[in-house]
Amino acid sequence: MSLSARNLSLTLSNTPLLGAIDLDIQPGRITTVLGPNGAGKTSLLRVLGGELQPDTGNVSLNGRKLTEWSPRQRARILAVLPQHSLLNFPFTAAEVVMLGRTPHDSGLEHDREIVTQALKAVDGDYLAERIYTQLSGGEKQRVHLARVLAQIWAPCLEGERFLLLDEPTSSFDLAHQQLTLDVVRNLALQGVGVLMVIHDLNLAARCAHQMILMQCGKIVVAGSPVEVLNQDTIARVFQVTATIGTHPVNGTPLVIT
Amino acid sequence: MRWLPPTRLLVIMGSVLLPLMLLGLMMGPVWIAPAGVLRALADHFNASATAASSQEGLILFAIRLPRVILAGLVGVSLAVCGTVMQGLFRNPLADPSLIGVSSGASAGASVMIVLGGGALLQGGQAVGLSVIALGAFTGGLLAVALVYRLATSATGTSVATMLLAGIAISALAGALNSLFTFMADDAMLRRISLWQMGSLDAANWPRVWIAGLAVAILMTLLPREGPALNAFLLGESEARHLGIAVDAVKRKLILLTAMAIGVSVAVAGTISFVGLIVPHIVRLLIGPDHRYLIPASAMAGAILLILADAAARVVVAPAELPAGILTALLGTPFFFSLLARGRRGEVG
Repeated sequence: MSLSARNLSLTLSNTPLLGAIDLDIQPGRITTVLGPNGAGKTSLLRVLGGELQPDTGNVSLNGRKLTEWSPRQRARILAVLPQHSLLNFPFTAAEVVMLGRTPHDSGLEHDREIVTQALKAVDGDYLAERIYTQLSGGEKQRVHLARVLAQIWAPCLEGERFLLLDEPTSSFDLAHQQLTLDVVRNLALQGVGVLMVIHDLNLAARCAHQMILMQCGKIVVAGSPVEVLNQDTIARVFQVTATIGTHPVNGTPLVIT
Repeated sequence: MRWLPPTRLLVIMGSVLLPLMLLGLMMGPVWIAPAGVLRALADHFNASATAASSQEGLILFAIRLPRVILAGLVGVSLAVCGTVMQGLFRNPLADPSLIGVSSGASAGASVMIVLGGGALLQGGQAVGLSVIALGAFTGGLLAVALVYRLATSATGTSVATMLLAGIAISALAGALNSLFTFMADDAMLRRISLWQMGSLDAANWPRVWIAGLAVAILMTLLPREGPALNAFLLGESEARHLGIAVDAVKRKLILLTAMAIGVSVAVAGTISFVGLIVPHIVRLLIGPDHRYLIPASAMAGAILLILADAAARVVVAPAELPAGILTALLGTPFFFSLLARGRRGEVG
């Protein structure tokens, strides 16, 4: 059981965005996707999330094609956190998180409990009754993180759960970047398969089981952080010269540019 | 800024509605005291022959009761469809006219008034709707169908394109409307302009039944889409990720809106601002959760229009103002204050 892509390609308005992508996201493992701007990271995430239909190939979720799932059942096990949110209505933060429970029929009491827990998990319990539109950018992003957490909070009958995140740390301060990594690691420990698009090589290296470097819509290298992060690949993909060290405490590769 | 518990607002409005209807029955060129209204009502339901012949009974049952009920029904349609449009477009300043239904209906009415000619207008009635009303209904539906077709492609219906298409179709309908206004003679001109102001003075029982049916369909099918509308506010992709069948829901919402607004324009002309301000006021009071917003807007819309229509009958008595003028007079200052607050970043 996994979220798997086979031979994906995608062309929008004559621009090839993705080509020949093969990818498996395993339950309990964290995959980070890196690459320069326009490499196709977000497109990949949108195809995996079922938002865009690939021109060739297919995506399967727990052995069934994405398109064969009913939208509601699929939403119980596959959550997506986009880079930006369009929400512009004065919900409270708790109400926004509650939207994550839309695909479930678990009852109001139970859902409220999950909302409280999810907000606590992102260090946002103090936000619960605040009006979403009045929050700071980082607070809003945390609320949405709590929302997708609430969506896939507990194991359910549809099978293994997966979470796709598009630059979840982009507007966070250092402490909340760490917090996000902890949240993601915790999810993986509970068996959730995570795919995360991220720009910070070192953050990516710290939490990833699998790292993917993309360029021009293709996967250039995939493997463990140690396998992927070396001077050669970084020069090839990002066109920068980097020194690779080792993190003094946890031993992961450390990229110094 | 917020808030009232939603249930409390519903209870307050519910308890205001009946007394307000009573007030609506009392007010008009001929004042009927509350006791008179109640006596006539009692007589009517005793089905005695004398009830229908009394003058008060006649005014109440032939004129005021259908009118008050129709005002309530039209108010429900306008306010609820406004709520739906604001949710669908994720824009608190949207209203049903955005998808072209109002301007299409106006053009349809003008076409009928000018081309229909005098004879047709005097005698032409079908199930209590004048030919003008039928023209308006058809025009409204045609406009929405065009807007929807323009905005729908293989990849689904784009709300942004729909907004643009709505503006374009409204402009087209506006031009058509001007063309027929230009061709009209003086009597027709007066009819066109009165019709466009929106009024409930043509209320009769058949219209009540038609509007009642539309509202019944609307209020049966719509409230269950409350959670979907909430998810829509996050954006369409997010709604999809939350398990909403986005395109099916969108189609349903647009169809329901076109139907309900088409009917309400046909029976009462274009009544502005109810669809814009009512959802807004209610949202300020209880927040944007559509599970409460829809029923609360429905009641608030009914209240506002019953009130505006009752006022329309007495402010320039014995003549009568079109209710559309009063809702706009009440609505415009509010709209300006919203715009001003929006510029300071408080709306939303």
